[in-house]
Amino acid sequence: MKVRIKFTKYGVVKYIGHLDLMRYFQKAFRRTDIQMIYSKGFSPHMLMSFASPLGVGIEGYGEYFDVEVADSEDYTLIKDKLNVTMAEGIEILDVVLLPEGAGNAMASVEASDYELEFHKENPLSEELLDKFLKADSVIFVKELKSGPLPVNVKDLVYDIRLIKENVLFARVNSSSADNLRPAALLTALLSLEGKNLEDYPYHTLRREIYRKNGSGELVPMGDVND
Amino acid sequence: MQNLALPEEVLLSIDKPERYIGNEINAVYKDKNNIAVRFAMCFPDVYEIGMSHLGIAILYDMFNKFEDTWCERVYSPWPDLDKIMRVRKIPLFTMESQEPVRNMDFLGITIQYEMCYTNILQILDLSGIPLLASERTWDDPIVIGGGPCTSNPEPLYAFFDIFYIGEGETRYRRLLDLYKECRSKNVSRQDFLIEAAKIPGLYVPSCYETDYNEDGTIKEFRPLHEGVPGTVLKELVKDLDDTYYPEKPVVPFIRATQDRVVLEIMRGCIRGCRFCQAGQIYRPVRERSVEFLMDKAEKLMKNTGYEEISLSSLSSSDYSHIEELIDYLVKDCTDKKINIALPSLRIDKFSVDAMSKVQDIKKSSLTFAPEAGSQRMRDIINKGLTRDDILNGAILAFKGGWTRVKLYFMLGLPFEQDEDIRGIAELANDIAAAFYETVPKDQRVNGRVQIVASTSFFVPKPFTPFQWAPQNTAEQFIDKATKCKRFISEQLNQKVIKYNWHESDVSMLEGVLARGDRRLAPVILSVYKKGNIFDAWSEYYHHDNWLKAFEECGVDPTFYTTRERSDDEIFPWDFIDCGVTKRHLLNEWHKAQQGIVTDNCKDKCSGCGSARFDCGICVRR
Repeated sequence: MKVRIKFTKYGVVKYIGHLDLMRYFQKAFRRTDIQMIYSKGFSPHMLMSFASPLGVGIEGYGEYFDVEVADSEDYTLIKDKLNVTMAEGIEILDVVLLPEGAGNAMASVEASDYELEFHKENPLSEELLDKFLKADSVIFVKELKSGPLPVNVKDLVYDIRLIKENVLFARVNSSSADNLRPAALLTALLSLEGKNLEDYPYHTLRREIYRKNGSGELVPMGDVND
Repeated sequence: MQNLALPEEVLLSIDKPERYIGNEINAVYKDKNNIAVRFAMCFPDVYEIGMSHLGIAILYDMFNKFEDTWCERVYSPWPDLDKIMRVRKIPLFTMESQEPVRNMDFLGITIQYEMCYTNILQILDLSGIPLLASERTWDDPIVIGGGPCTSNPEPLYAFFDIFYIGEGETRYRRLLDLYKECRSKNVSRQDFLIEAAKIPGLYVPSCYETDYNEDGTIKEFRPLHEGVPGTVLKELVKDLDDTYYPEKPVVPFIRATQDRVVLEIMRGCIRGCRFCQAGQIYRPVRERSVEFLMDKAEKLMKNTGYEEISLSSLSSSDYSHIEELIDYLVKDCTDKKINIALPSLRIDKFSVDAMSKVQDIKKSSLTFAPEAGSQRMRDIINKGLTRDDILNGAILAFKGGWTRVKLYFMLGLPFEQDEDIRGIAELANDIAAAFYETVPKDQRVNGRVQIVASTSFFVPKPFTPFQWAPQNTAEQFIDKATKCKRFISEQLNQKVIKYNWHESDVSMLEGVLARGDRRLAPVILSVYKKGNIFDAWSEYYHHDNWLKAFEECGVDPTFYTTRERSDDEIFPWDFIDCGVTKRHLLNEWHKAQQGIVTDNCKDKCSGCGSARFDCGICVRR
């Protein structure tokens, strides 16, 4: 059976790269008595699918991966079994059973909530946000192999507001086709006042990841029914 | 949430920040307010290498079992971070507390290979500890070195307060107690060191002095204080079932070089190969019981979650219960989807069967280390391996389905002639021919056989019968490698034989440092000041700086490498008693000259001197 696991990655473990995080979880499962399902062959590996890799230096409070465990497992025990063997900053928040035929974590991702905190000089203001909301379009130029591609980031933002004077909340499109990186959003936003993002150091935190349910609404990845 | 020593903008600007953040699974954290002794344990190379070292894992476990001690880890900052730390004046820190190394009571440094000597100075320098032991005060940690290179610590004598000679499990408790006592009674650092010099196995270089003859050889080496012994006998663990062995080693986030559980099955080696230092200095052979190993294997897999387990020893096939152990592991690990790595096994029916169970034959290769190409040379080095042994092993492997074979040889062994070099080419060719004879055309898995022959250049090491041997010059090495390449190209099966050889500059330097004396300390200091660190990494190795440093310090490197040594020369390391007597080594040197082989310890005791330790194979017989 497949389960979807929600976890955090904050504090010093934010410096761990995605591949190492995958290896970390494989070892973590081996430290428990949870029976896992493995691929066939000489180097069997666990069948895992992460919703969305978190870049080095970014903190996550609502990260997800799917993994296949033996049908005999009681999935409600998995959270506690893993939490006794976690490194500081990695915590299992929830484990849910994936219904038969559910799409895998990575393919289902539609949107993400980010909190972007400027920890030195603060370029954010209600005026800046107003400019963003009133503009017809706010352009970020993607540098692709095929050449520069202007993107209207407003089309990719579901929600944007200040939650503290130096912290911007944004719910953005994270689908594989139209993923909007927080750095791209901030670059476009600051350009409205002629400011350069490189001059303003900030921390990125991903609060939640969403999929679309049967009715086309955004729901957290952990809400797996329908 | 823990603070890190490095600021975020630094961590995000360097390669692999995970090297510096600690917090790994099974890392030990203690309340420093309840700790009497803080010990920083350092492997002076990059984190991924250092974290792969079993010796450190054993000592980390031991120190942290002491309630009054907190042992933390330190590794060499990679050159990218090294630069930043110097510019921003960030002191070197430990993994666990992220506090400056200079705050510790002890800095222990394992010295595993000669090419890390400049990294030792990097560690001291970045820590803000005076490079010279003579300039340190109680504000600095006691700097203590251990590991195989301490079998000749003299080139490093100026940088260390103490060297620990032999296996670390036995004397540290006594040293820590002495330290606590001296600190509480306000004893001077110098007096503490003199008392430490009286603990068996500890060598305090400042308590000794060396006189030289006019020809540059050593005239006399003597202690400067009463009660400080003239020779230091190496320490060893007599019963390997009754000692420290970590059950919860630290599991790195990043992939370490040894990314697996390592099970040390025995220490020492019964085969007295005459070039091999490990085969002498770890005598006598001592085994761990199979019950001990099964128990540890279980716990280690459970506590780390590693997907692979590897056996560690100098010659695993010589372990008495190897079949029982491997059968157990194969069964247990197959259930748990854990891979087994079986290095240093002799190729015989049993090992081929075992390996075919645990390896993907199509992808893996089999490794043989004949070390020398001709039988004459294998007898000189006392390899105890015949051409038939090697060919029969290869045939077994080919029948088992392997098509790739790696062969390891040395060039520049004593008394080497062109015929011995040609022997390397001929042996590789014979193995290829054996494949075509053994495996019918329609059963050849990858079409044809692949043979990779690699040669390294021989460097004579202290405490081996070849400690008297002149090392080849860099030109001789290159000439021999060129010849070897030509001989291989003349073979019938040359198309399936690939030949690799290593650089000769590093071998020269390794030779100087291996058999060096106290007059090399200024050279090491000088080359470090010229900017050399990470000499073991070819991309950072600056040979020119070494040559300049030799010249500036008035030291002739060939004195240590290519010079002929007389039978009665006093060597810089003679004050250390490694268990094997100099008389035995000299006898072996003479036997090598005549091509006479010596029996291994299982077949017949050769009277090497290790029997006085009264343990292991010396008493089992």
